[in-house]
Amino acid sequence: MSKKRILSLVLAMAMTVSLFAGCGGSSSSSAAAEGDSSAAADGSSTAAASGETIKIGYVSDLTGTSRLWGTAGRDGALLAVEDVNAAGGVLDGQMIELIASDGKGEPADSVNAYRSMVENDGIVASIGTNFSNCNIAMAPVAEQLQVPIIGTATSNSLVTMDEEGNLRPYSFRMCFLDSFQGTALGLKAAQLGFKKGAMIRTIDDTYSMEVGQYIMDTFVEQGGEIVASETVNVSDTDFRAQLTNIAAANPDVLFIPCTYNNVALIAKQAKEMGINCVYMGTDSWDSAELAELAGGALEGSYYVSRIGFNSPEAKEFGERYQSVYNVDLEAECLFGYSGVMWVVDAIERAGSAEPSAIRDALENTDTFSSLIGTLVQDPATHNPSMDVAVFQCTDGVFNYVETMSANDIQAAIPEVTAEA
Amino acid sequence: MLLQQIVTGLSVGGIYALLATGYSLIYSLLDFSNWAHGEVAMIGAYCAFIVVGTLQLPFGLAIVGGIVGAAVISYLNERVAYRRIRHNRSPNMFLMIAAMGLSTVYQNAAGLIFGSKFVTYPGIQVSSVQLGSVYVGVLDLISLICTAIILVILVYLINKTRFGLNVRAIASNSYTANLLGIKVDQCIALVFLLAGALAGAAGVMLGLKYNVYPTMGNIGLKAFIASVIGGLGSVPGAIVGAVLLGLIETFASGYINSGLRDLISFTLLIVLLLVRPTGLFGVDVQDKA
Repeated sequence: MSKKRILSLVLAMAMTVSLFAGCGGSSSSSAAAEGDSSAAADGSSTAAASGETIKIGYVSDLTGTSRLWGTAGRDGALLAVEDVNAAGGVLDGQMIELIASDGKGEPADSVNAYRSMVENDGIVASIGTNFSNCNIAMAPVAEQLQVPIIGTATSNSLVTMDEEGNLRPYSFRMCFLDSFQGTALGLKAAQLGFKKGAMIRTIDDTYSMEVGQYIMDTFVEQGGEIVASETVNVSDTDFRAQLTNIAAANPDVLFIPCTYNNVALIAKQAKEMGINCVYMGTDSWDSAELAELAGGALEGSYYVSRIGFNSPEAKEFGERYQSVYNVDLEAECLFGYSGVMWVVDAIERAGSAEPSAIRDALENTDTFSSLIGTLVQDPATHNPSMDVAVFQCTDGVFNYVETMSANDIQAAIPEVTAEA
Repeated sequence: MLLQQIVTGLSVGGIYALLATGYSLIYSLLDFSNWAHGEVAMIGAYCAFIVVGTLQLPFGLAIVGGIVGAAVISYLNERVAYRRIRHNRSPNMFLMIAAMGLSTVYQNAAGLIFGSKFVTYPGIQVSSVQLGSVYVGVLDLISLICTAIILVILVYLINKTRFGLNVRAIASNSYTANLLGIKVDQCIALVFLLAGALAGAAGVMLGLKYNVYPTMGNIGLKAFIASVIGGLGSVPGAIVGAVLLGLIETFASGYINSGLRDLISFTLLIVLLLVRPTGLFGVDVQDKA
């Protein structure tokens, strides 16, 4: 081996070593720089009273087609942060801060937004999104990063449980499942003293079939009887064949858990056929046009849905929200506000802002009350029971009548698991 | 209960009949299925909505508006699209594809202009009369009577007038009719006006009963099937086929299962075509093909 070759080898080795050294050096220095900058940011922020702020994340669509909801949720959450800090922060006076990140309403973007907030900003919990498919995609990542996520209007059962029925431990939600309002409606019908119920459901719509099953199971368990049960197709326009069978059974109450345009036609045709009982439905009736579309046929009818802005607290918050942001009200702002409050409540109960401690506290929430009403957690499923609002149609308009308490409805959930 | 189901079947069939006759009229002349016919009815329904909803005029004028609007659109379809294709001596398949194109254009245009929301004619309240154990909706009663009157006039027009004679001559053989001095293009244009007016009337009645929305024209498929059952090209056949289809559908939903309704009625259609390929009142298909 020539001296030249040995020299070149030594040189090459030296270069390689220095390269690695350089690498290590640069990475450690960049980390230090990051630490410095975040410290500087803390130092300069107004909330620097006692060390670092506790960061809470918010993921939703902030720029896309559904930004109406995403930005409302974020802005509601910002008001909650303001309130918490004005009241002296959490734990021993630590301030909180909201980090909002754009998930564009898409699963992949939502996962990236969440991951970035955990890894770069160090959030302790994340609120959002309002889409089930986004939260289903985020759930396994949340388990990996061990920072809890709280979906807002995510009503798909897969948000908190996987296909095999196993709990997704880091996934939570602030809304009830569709089936829950079925129980609420069945209970309400029984409370109103109805004995003979008739059902009309849409056979090609899972929502309608599942909710309808819960309505019937609950109604029967509460002492009622189902005297007729018919199915229709979602694209149908004429329902009189089925309604003829229902009319023959002479019910006290007709349950119509269908989409609102079907509800309008079913109600019209039912009235025409002399079915003069009370009609009842679920949140698929939640449309400003429904009463008008039904041409007076829904007078006296009831439906159950979320509380929205109907409680005094939510109404007051709505006025405040509008005075601050000067935009139309979207129920998502109530979720954003309540989400922050729930995380703060969990931090206080856990006595710690560690993500895993927050997770445990969220799971073991007994009852939590905020702008979205009272929430009663089910630790086994993370599917909370919640307050439900009852609406009735009078003089061609649906008005809020009362709130059914989460605990009452929880107690009425039928023993028999309904078939989907 | 049986009587109630029959009343329902008749009222469903009545609407199918108004549309089915339009299919048959045009098929008898041009040997093609005018797939845009359902959308013409939809446009009629929206025209009536503009008159009564936006302009706040009385409902009588809305019916006129719906019929005129649909007739004009139907005429324009012929004038702008179909006539050129006919004059090019293109295969009939081209007419059908042009009609499919028009159907999609109208459906999407309605979605853009009016939105995909369901609208309803303002001021129409639900009411019904009780005859023994049977409830008949007032709207149904009115639309059934109107349908009957319109169809009687139509059958009279086709069978007893000079215009009807011309139409039947063209249907039999348009080349010979032309040689005999019948103005074929003018006559065809008139038939499109007539079919459009029928579709407009159907559209307004559909809108009254089932609300107005951009995809309401899809009911045209049912009407087409009715006209096939009756025998394509035969106006009385289309009426009988439509009433039959309405009754079959109602009985299937009421006594068997609504999920099976379309399965049952389409199976019956296939059986009927196997047994009687020309439909109930059909002229020999071999001549037409």
